[in-house]
This record gives sequence, C-alpha cells and structure tokens, in this order.
Amino acid sequence: MRLTLAILALLVAVPLAAKEELVTLPGRDSVQLTIYNSEDLTLVRERRTLSFKQGSNRLQFSWANTLIDPTSVELQPVGDTAKAAIEIADTSYPAESHEMLIWTVSCKTAGAHVVEISYFTSGISWQAEYTGVVNANEDSMTLTAYVTVTNRSGEEYENAQVRLVVGTINLVEKIVNLATPRPQSQPRPSREDQRGARDMDRMAEKGGPGMGGGGGMVKPKEIIKGGLSEYYIYTVEGQETIPDQWSKRLRSFEVAGVPLKTVYRLEPAKFGPAFTKVLEFKNDEEHKLGKEPLPDGLIRLYKDQGMGRLGYMGALASKYIPKKDEVKINVGPDAECTLAIKRLSIKKKDLGFRNNWLIGWTTVEQFELEVKNFRGRAVEVEIHRTMAGDFDFESPDKFELHDAATRKVAFRLDANSARKLSYTVTTRLGENARK
Amino acid sequence: MNKRLMLSLAFAAGIGSMIGFFNPVPAQARIKLATLPDREAVVVRFDNPNVVMVEEERTISLQKGVNNVDFSWAGTQIDKGSIVFRPADAAAKVEILSTSYPPGEAALTWQISAAEAMSVKFRLSYLMANIQRETDYRMLVSKDEQTCSFKHYFKIRNWSGGRFATADFVTRDGKKFEKGLENGEAKRVLVNTWDKVKLTKEYVYDITRNGEGKVMTDYVLKNAKEIGLGAIPLEYGKVRIYQDDGNGTTAFTGEDWGRFTPIGDDMRLNIGIAQDIKIEMKKMVNDVQNRRGNVYDTDEVDEYEIKNFKDTDAVVTLVLRVDGEWEMKADTSGHESFERIDNETIKFKVKAPAKGTPVKLKFHYQKKNVW
Repeated sequence: MRLTLAILALLVAVPLAAKEELVTLPGRDSVQLTIYNSEDLTLVRERRTLSFKQGSNRLQFSWANTLIDPTSVELQPVGDTAKAAIEIADTSYPAESHEMLIWTVSCKTAGAHVVEISYFTSGISWQAEYTGVVNANEDSMTLTAYVTVTNRSGEEYENAQVRLVVGTINLVEKIVNLATPRPQSQPRPSREDQRGARDMDRMAEKGGPGMGGGGGMVKPKEIIKGGLSEYYIYTVEGQETIPDQWSKRLRSFEVAGVPLKTVYRLEPAKFGPAFTKVLEFKNDEEHKLGKEPLPDGLIRLYKDQGMGRLGYMGALASKYIPKKDEVKINVGPDAECTLAIKRLSIKKKDLGFRNNWLIGWTTVEQFELEVKNFRGRAVEVEIHRTMAGDFDFESPDKFELHDAATRKVAFRLDANSARKLSYTVTTRLGENARK
Repeated sequence: MNKRLMLSLAFAAGIGSMIGFFNPVPAQARIKLATLPDREAVVVRFDNPNVVMVEEERTISLQKGVNNVDFSWAGTQIDKGSIVFRPADAAAKVEILSTSYPPGEAALTWQISAAEAMSVKFRLSYLMANIQRETDYRMLVSKDEQTCSFKHYFKIRNWSGGRFATADFVTRDGKKFEKGLENGEAKRVLVNTWDKVKLTKEYVYDITRNGEGKVMTDYVLKNAKEIGLGAIPLEYGKVRIYQDDGNGTTAFTGEDWGRFTPIGDDMRLNIGIAQDIKIEMKKMVNDVQNRRGNVYDTDEVDEYEIKNFKDTDAVVTLVLRVDGEWEMKADTSGHESFERIDNETIKFKVKAPAKGTPVKLKFHYQKKNVW
C-alpha cells in the first residue's frame, strides 16, 4: 500500500521536514470505488477512524507512486458527532512534495472520530465483455455478460465495495495528467515473477465469499443495476480485493434462449462494402433482456456444436446498447450465401449541345443482383443500393425508399436456391440534372 | 479449506511433486501444482477461417466450498479473453465465481464454488495462435479427360508451443480425425476422396487472364452431387493435377489455386497453356460515325482467327471486353453461341476444326455516344 495517512505529533511552526514525526497510521475501515468506463477515472471514498486531540490536529496524507489527482482529495467528518466536533481549518500542499498534503483540523471534543477521505484516481478501469453461444439453427443464443475490473493505479484497495458507472461523463482535464508529477507515458515498474506468484497466492488467501469457511454452495456475486441521471450504476455485491496490476472478471448476467435472427445484408453505410451475415436481437423483454443497457464491449460468439461443445464464430466490438434498442452483430461474409452485382447495360440518351459542345445527357443503366443461398436452410436477405445525383429508380422487384439516395429490398430465400433481382437507374447529368 | 489446483499445458506433464509458490523461477517455467489433472478429450477446431479453437476436458477434484484453480499457459499463445470455462455437465452443482488475472503472466485463477466435495469434468475452450492449417487437393484425371478422382487433404502445422498427445482435429466442414501433434510438427491427412467425378475441359482465350493472348486449358468442376461432388463446400487450396497416361502410371499436368467453392458453384482450374490452339486478333474496321459536336459513335470489327492444330475438333471460349455504351451488330459471325455476361463482357464459343484449318470469329460492334 502506498497511500499513507499520518497524524503529525508536534504542532510547531517550523519546516515540516525538520520537526514532525508520525504518531499513528490508521488503516481504512471501508473503501468504495466508483469506476467510470468512459474516462480513466475512479472516485475513491474511504473511511478511517482517527483519534483527535482537542485543539488543532495536523493530518498528513500522502500518495507516492499512485495516480491520484491531488486537486480532488477531500476530507469530511462522518456522522453528527464527528461533524459537531471537527472542522477542517485548512489544507496545505508542502512545496517539497507533490504527492502529499496536510490538513489542519480543529477538534472540539477529543476522541475517535470517523472521517471520509475521497479522491479521484486514474489507472482503475472496467470493461464489459460478452459471450454468446449460438444454437445450431442460429435462432437462439445464451448470452453471458461479464465485467472485468483492472487495477493499474499503484494502490491496492482491499475489500472494496465496487460500483461501475456506465455512461459518458464530461471531464475537462485528464485525471492522469493531474496526478503529477508522473508523466502519463512513464512505464510502471515491472514486478518480479515470484512477486506475481505471491500475489496469486495472496489473492487466493483473501479470496472472497465463503473462503476458508468450508461452507456450502456459494453463488456468483450478483451485480445490481440501477439508473442515475444519464448513467447506469452496476454495484457488485459484497466486497472485492483487486491487487495492483491485477484484473478480475465477474459475471454480470446470463440469459439463455435469447431469440436471434440471421439476416444477410448489403448495407454499406452500416456494415461495409461486403454482403455480410448479421445476427440480430433486441435488448428488450421479448428477447429476455432489456433490464439494463448493455455497455460497450467485445462480443465473442461461439456456435453450439452439440453435446455442449463449442465452435468459434467470431468477435466484434459492440457499442453501448440502450434498453429496447436492437443489436446487430456483423459476423462477416459467409461464402455460403453470396451476392453478385452486374451492370447489364449502359445507354446514353437526351444529349444536349450548346455551341456544338455536349452540355447535358442522361444515362440508363440496367443492373442485376443475384443472391445464391448454398445453405441447407432458408435465409433472410436485405440489400441496400445507393445512387448519386438526379436519378430515377425502377424495378419489378419490391424495392422501398430508405432515404433520398438509397433503395432497399428485403426477402426470404429458400434453402439451396437463388434469386435474381433487376433494376434500372436513369441518371440525368450535366444540364439535364434538375437538382 | 481452500484448495488450489493448477492446470497447465502439456509441457507441465511429468512433474508430479509440489513446487512452491516462492521458488525464484522465471515466469516461463513457473509451474504451480497441487494436482495436475490430465487433459482429456482435446478437440482442435477450424470452424473460423482465421483462428483455431482448442477445447479440452479436465476432471478436477473440488472440495466443498470455494476452490481456487490456476490455469497457466506460459510458452503458448492463448487469447485469454477467449477462454470459456464451464462444467461439461451443465447440471453440475458448481459455480464459477470469478476469474482473476495476475500481472505479467500467462495465467489466471478461477474461483469455483462446489456444493459438496466431488470430481467434476470441466470443459475449457480457447483460441490458440500459431496453429496453421492448409487445404490442398490432388486430382487424378482419366486418360480421356472425362472424369477424375479428387482427393482432399488437410495439413496442420503446430507452432503454438503446446503439444497434443492426442486430439480430435475438426475441419470447417465437420470432418474429424484423431492425431497426435508435437510442437513444431506438421501433419497432412487425407480427409475426403471422391471418385469418378465428371469434369469439363475448356479452352479459354481471355487477355485479362493471359496478356499474351495465349489459349488456356481449364478444368471446370461443379461442386454438385450430379458430377460426384457437392458433399461439402471446397476450401481454398492448391490443386495438383495428374493424368492417367494409359500405361499404368500418371503424369503431372499442372496445378492451380482452387478458390473457395460453395456447394453448387464451379471450381475453375487452369492447368496450363493449350499450345496447339492459336488465336490471332486483327482490327478490321475502326470508323467514327454520327459526329455531333464533341460526341460521336464508332463502328468496329475485330477479327479473331483461330487455328486448332490438334487431331480432334475443339470448342474455344473467347472472353472479350468492350467498355461504355455499345451494341453488337447482327452480322457478327463464326461462333456457335454467345453470352453477354455483363455490360462490358461477352463470351463467344467457337468450334475450331482439327488439323489447323483456320476459322474466323467476326465481332462487329458499335460504340455509342463517345466523347
């Protein structure tokens, strides 16, 4: 632990280094971490019981080798008795250290009082991750969400209550830059391997619920979700210890039987230029979800190969998914369902001249789309075509307006079958263009 | 009581005694174990075209309460985020409480809660780097070039740092074979053989494929049941082509890359140049017509003289291209059939008689509205 809190024994108006000494080193009674995922920011609130003497007390708080923002450190008395007894007279930042401050606290009633120290630190982060196991028919999946907390703050927070904030907050300065004098890019000291081994053993000793008890079945910790303004707070049940440089992954939820739809899409605006396979579901009750937004994170998809065996389908980064919103996972092109686009012909007409020079013309282009489904089951297909300029679009197939420049068509294609679609684009160019 | 278990990859095998946690050994060699359950039922899957998934089973003796199980993979490249760990029997009374990752180590610790002391079979899946796969084919063509036998091989090379004493290797199309594979070792396995597959031979002139205008010899295999294939999509891979010489031996006649061919699609393989068929192209007409300011039409005749010096007649496919707005004129002649593939591409089939008798394809077309 690199954070220290000391009560300075001698209250004399002389330079700090010369006279003062430490008399007590009180530990934390409790600590709460509120970790943000949109910024490198964690709010730490810790409570300590300190013995105060009547009159003026000086408290030294230092945080060498951590990533704490000095401008954020605050001290507050906790409870009516402490509030009545204690008053923070001033906070001084000694010139000789950027990683220390001294509070002058006046106390009316000598004795033990509980105080809360809060501050921002960088270096603690959390990340959502998802594992989806898709059934053989690709119409249902088991979705498991995880949260992984990583501590690179330089400080170990033992038995902390952990809260995770989902949402994008506004910060005007990066906490890591405020945590001077350490530059952001400075590499952290690496640990010896046996230290890692010791840590691993220590983790095991500290463990979690039920450790060393030999008791009955322990359930995974529940992660309780609640809304707050524009944000969502995930509170991890109980307490966690995440040593410095460690990560820990906890299960957030697991839902079986989430209905899934497979659609083959050519929709360059959203999924790139290729005809691609997209797995779709909604974050709503109908899909057994919708209890909370899904924070951004990597989704890894596995296919159930029978007998509980898995095959890897692919992974992709998902953006934040609000409640009720739909989720479309692009798993990439599938050679077993293909699309070929051909321009069958181009003709020019309505040529207009001024002074023997071409100033306007119109092109008529015929296109053919052929979708082939080599799979042994029917598939859903949606194709978007985007044109430019002043154009007319005609097709015997049921294309719909998507936006001013885009037409789309959606249909179901039977197993081992193909379908051709055609359309004609008439484009007025040069002075023929009306818009 | 906490119980600490250690799972590690095969390089840990054979070390059966306790090794303390505080031994000053480097991470590469750090092996911690109380009990080392053997790997059982290892499956290496190639479903995804880019990554390899390994799945293994381990039976772990759990004590009642919370157990810590370490898993480390120093020396191999496992994507730790991809690790999926679960009891093989979903009804097993165990819960995986958390996963902790130590700094700077290829290792993790699972915290597993058990309702009672028991042995539980767990299944562990992960993506592993540096296991390469390669598909290749061998095609033995009959003397008359009507049929072939088509053999499908799958080759695996293991650079992963781990070894597989025995494992089921499962290809993308679900074909399974059991092998052992040491680190650094490669194995090639025949996974499918199809006999009496009908093939089509084509002579193709296409200057986008051969810029010198030489005629290419292609074999075309339709990946379909009616010709004797069509069981699985054919993976991309090199096809080596041999032909029965009629004397009980075979000759190598060429090789090509076979593209990924779904069921129902064609695999076109070029075996080389058909030197006995020669095509010479001449532009016989190239006129400007119908000039309007800076816009005009053209009238063009391209003539292709085809000579087949073989002893038998041959059908030659000419793939020709014209850009922009154009139309073919009715007096185009010399072909058996044609197909306009798309606006720019037209394909003619021309019958070339044996023994060098020349035949001419006259391709007459008009480009319109050129500027």
